[in-house]
Amino acid sequence: METSNGSASSSAPSNEAPSGDFKLKFCTVCASNQNRSMEAHLRLSEAQYPVISFGTGSLVRLPGPTISQPNVYEFNKTSYDTMFKELESKDPRLYRANGLLNMLDRNRHVKSGPERWQNWQPGLPRLDHASDKGSEGCEGGVVDIVITCEERCWDAVIDDLHNRGAPLNKPVHVINVDIKDNHEEASVGGRGIVDLAKSLNAAAAEERGKMGPALFDQGGSSARSSFDERVPDVLAEWQEKWPNLPATWTLAWF
Amino acid sequence: MAGSVENAVEDQLQQLNNARKLVLGDTTYYPQIVQSVLPIIQPTHPLPMRRWSADFLAEVFSSPALKISQKESICLLVLETLKNLIQDSNEDAYVLRNAIQTCASIYPLAFNWVLANSYDGPTWERVMAIKTRILQIWDNVPPAIRICCIKFAQRVVLAQTVASSDRQRGDLNINLAMIPQNHPLLDPRHLEAEATGLLDRMLGVLQENSRYEGSYSSSSSDLTNTALVCSSDAILVDATLNSLSILVRTRPGTSNRIMNAILNFNPLKLANSPMTPKTKVLIKSMEKTTRMLVKHLYQRDPHNPNAPRLQQHVERLMRSRAEILDESSRKRPNADGNGQDSKRQKLTPASQPKAPSAPNIEITHLEPGPHSLAELFTLAKDKGLTSFDATQVPLPYAVQITVTALSRAEPTLFMKALDGVRDRLVQMVKAEADINPETAPLGVDDDDDYEPDFDTGEDTEQILNKLDSAPPETIDAKPLGPSLALGSVNLPPAPILNPDMAAKVGQGTVARVFSMMRTLDDSTARKPKTGLSRLAASSLDRESWVTVIARLATRSSAGLETSVKSEDGASSVGSANLNDSIRELLYAYVMEDFRRRIEVAASWLCEEWYCDRVNKKHGLDGPLHYNKWVIKVMDGFIAYLNPADKVFTRFLSEMPELNMEILSRVKRLCRDPAMVQLVTTSLYYLVMTRPPVRNMVLDTFQEIWVEFEDARPFAEKYLAKWRPEFVKAVRAAKQPVSAK
Repeated sequence: METSNGSASSSAPSNEAPSGDFKLKFCTVCASNQNRSMEAHLRLSEAQYPVISFGTGSLVRLPGPTISQPNVYEFNKTSYDTMFKELESKDPRLYRANGLLNMLDRNRHVKSGPERWQNWQPGLPRLDHASDKGSEGCEGGVVDIVITCEERCWDAVIDDLHNRGAPLNKPVHVINVDIKDNHEEASVGGRGIVDLAKSLNAAAAEERGKMGPALFDQGGSSARSSFDERVPDVLAEWQEKWPNLPATWTLAWF
Repeated sequence: MAGSVENAVEDQLQQLNNARKLVLGDTTYYPQIVQSVLPIIQPTHPLPMRRWSADFLAEVFSSPALKISQKESICLLVLETLKNLIQDSNEDAYVLRNAIQTCASIYPLAFNWVLANSYDGPTWERVMAIKTRILQIWDNVPPAIRICCIKFAQRVVLAQTVASSDRQRGDLNINLAMIPQNHPLLDPRHLEAEATGLLDRMLGVLQENSRYEGSYSSSSSDLTNTALVCSSDAILVDATLNSLSILVRTRPGTSNRIMNAILNFNPLKLANSPMTPKTKVLIKSMEKTTRMLVKHLYQRDPHNPNAPRLQQHVERLMRSRAEILDESSRKRPNADGNGQDSKRQKLTPASQPKAPSAPNIEITHLEPGPHSLAELFTLAKDKGLTSFDATQVPLPYAVQITVTALSRAEPTLFMKALDGVRDRLVQMVKAEADINPETAPLGVDDDDDYEPDFDTGEDTEQILNKLDSAPPETIDAKPLGPSLALGSVNLPPAPILNPDMAAKVGQGTVARVFSMMRTLDDSTARKPKTGLSRLAASSLDRESWVTVIARLATRSSAGLETSVKSEDGASSVGSANLNDSIRELLYAYVMEDFRRRIEVAASWLCEEWYCDRVNKKHGLDGPLHYNKWVIKVMDGFIAYLNPADKVFTRFLSEMPELNMEILSRVKRLCRDPAMVQLVTTSLYYLVMTRPPVRNMVLDTFQEIWVEFEDARPFAEKYLAKWRPEFVKAVRAAKQPVSAK
């Protein structure tokens, strides 16, 4: 064991190489799984991270002709493609002008339809989502990091995890990145999330690259860090860079 | 060489990944795959593969795709391996962490197994060894692993306490109450005591953190000396808090202990350390995590005796959080409270002294968003002025003030103000017109908290109360004026009246007159004769209506028909149709009961005759109707006559003009011998009373005599008086015949 450890570490003196292809698994969450979470989903998948996404709302709500006439769809039932076609047939000029068609067009090329967080059972294999962007690595149906895009989505996620009672015994970092629900902010937020993901992944890869026994001695916890402990550091650092995307974090359980 | 080893490892990992995908798709292969993976986790294998295996094991036992019974049987295979892994003090942190996670999943499974299989001492011993080891290393491992120890302890507590009736799904339900009596291996009392101890140890992290407060308050200046908040604190606190909900909810025995610990825990006590971005993240995290748990607990069980305390705790947390975390922006509340007023306030000192001296005015642009009309016109920046309710001023005063102010206003200043308002308007209209799709809010989900299955509807009483306290609705007529005023109503243009339609309408009218006539009383009472000077159709009885209709039928188109006939337009058809249709109706009316309505027929036919005469007199060569209709009427009833019908005599006598055609019809009646008397009597009446037609009638008698042998005696009787020469002649003619 010593030798194999040694050889591995000698071939990779730094922490990058052996865990270069190590990827944290992400999950993005917003209210309707349309704008913010999907923007982040796309960007994270483009950055080669395993990623899935959800919405915490009770229904998928998209703006309609007036504020009191939203287009409402059910989660896990209506695909982005169906929504796209429906809105296009309803009023192509309006929905082109407010960016909905553009958004739905993007979404339908990312995955099939909006999924509701509360209906998701973590740990259940997601082999049937193989065609989704970022699905590679998420087959097991669990993630390391959940990123919500709004405080109440974060609240909903945490409340839901409480309800589930943590049957999987798997820790998960739940981070909220507050993003206003419009296309422009979603784009900015998406970049911020990818930046955060990269920082987190770099820290995780670095910690993973550190081989060898966990120290049980007195030096203990302060003597060496771990990825989990570094999350707040990464987040704080990131927050300095992205002061307009206020963040909240906790460590919860699947 | 190292490269080849690495490649081999890569290949093997690839194979393992394929195997994993296989079992993710089909759980039946799990036992096989787990068994083949177990050797790989042994320390003799390359670390990447060992980590992969540890990951895989954790996944297997947490997977909801596998049934408890399946996991239970697999777990017996891995216990020994896990025990060895955990007991290796040199174990890789990552492998160890996953191993402990696996143990947390396995503990209730193994517990359940032993519970049902009390003979299996070795298994329970392995489980005990694992538990002992994990609890032993708990405090000595890095936080990332320690949180897994905490989670393991939580599962132990879950299994070793009594569950409430609130059944949980899956292995979360495995609990102390399931242990049968006198189980040789499991002693509920001992296990419960252990669980209580473990729970206290778990909750210790919350109490540990409280200790800092003492040190702060004793030496608040000596910050460097006190323990700084570090990530480990937050991770442990969060991990603990986030694992407590299920215990409180499903293990009543733990509930009070946990509640107390939570209520005594103040995550913000750590906020005394210097506020670096990192401590801010940590403190915010602990505070929010605590708050979420507390909120979750009282929302799940609002009737819990602790609920009010929990609610208070949340409020307290939010208050202190606002105080501590918003410190940097403490000046903001003033500004925030007034929204856009902050801008105005800042400008006040600058613009106020200027106002009296120079005719200058500062026109601030309106912030985007909806504005009231008052806001649009408000140029003053003084807060007192803007909040002044001008409607309080009595109208006469207001007018006076306005007029005076306007007359004294500096023209340039006034124009500038006007321009400013105009600009604002333009700006607002523009802002409304172009919505930037990039920044337009997509959040239609303001009511996102709406859950269809969760009824928070107000009851009737609440709604009534609300209505009672609502301000009375004032009826403001002015603004409603234009919208409520009646607009000019334009009826659709009437369809053009074409002849067809006119005829139809005309017929409708006539039909109405007829239907009315039927309901009118018969003018049975004999009226005093009014003589020739009477005015027709003035008595409004049936007779007068008959006159009206008859004249309508005969005269309405008199004089028109000639010219019309010469044209070939449709209008001629219309009017002719109308008259003829009235005639048809009259005819039908008479025929319905000709004995009683013979009078109607007579007056109608008289009108026809009169009309024809007038036409002739004026030289109009229109069609003549009299003869045609007399024939038609006679043909109509003649078949129904019986010998006693004196009306026939009357009818014939009243016809203003008789001709051979008419008389020939009468003559033909004599084919029926029974009718001969009626016919001859009627004709004789004509001979007696109407000299102008006497000869014609006598000729008819002669014809009857000739044609109808049965009628000869009657005819001869009258002819003998009026045409004796004819009788003589025929007798003479007969004589030789009879003589012969």
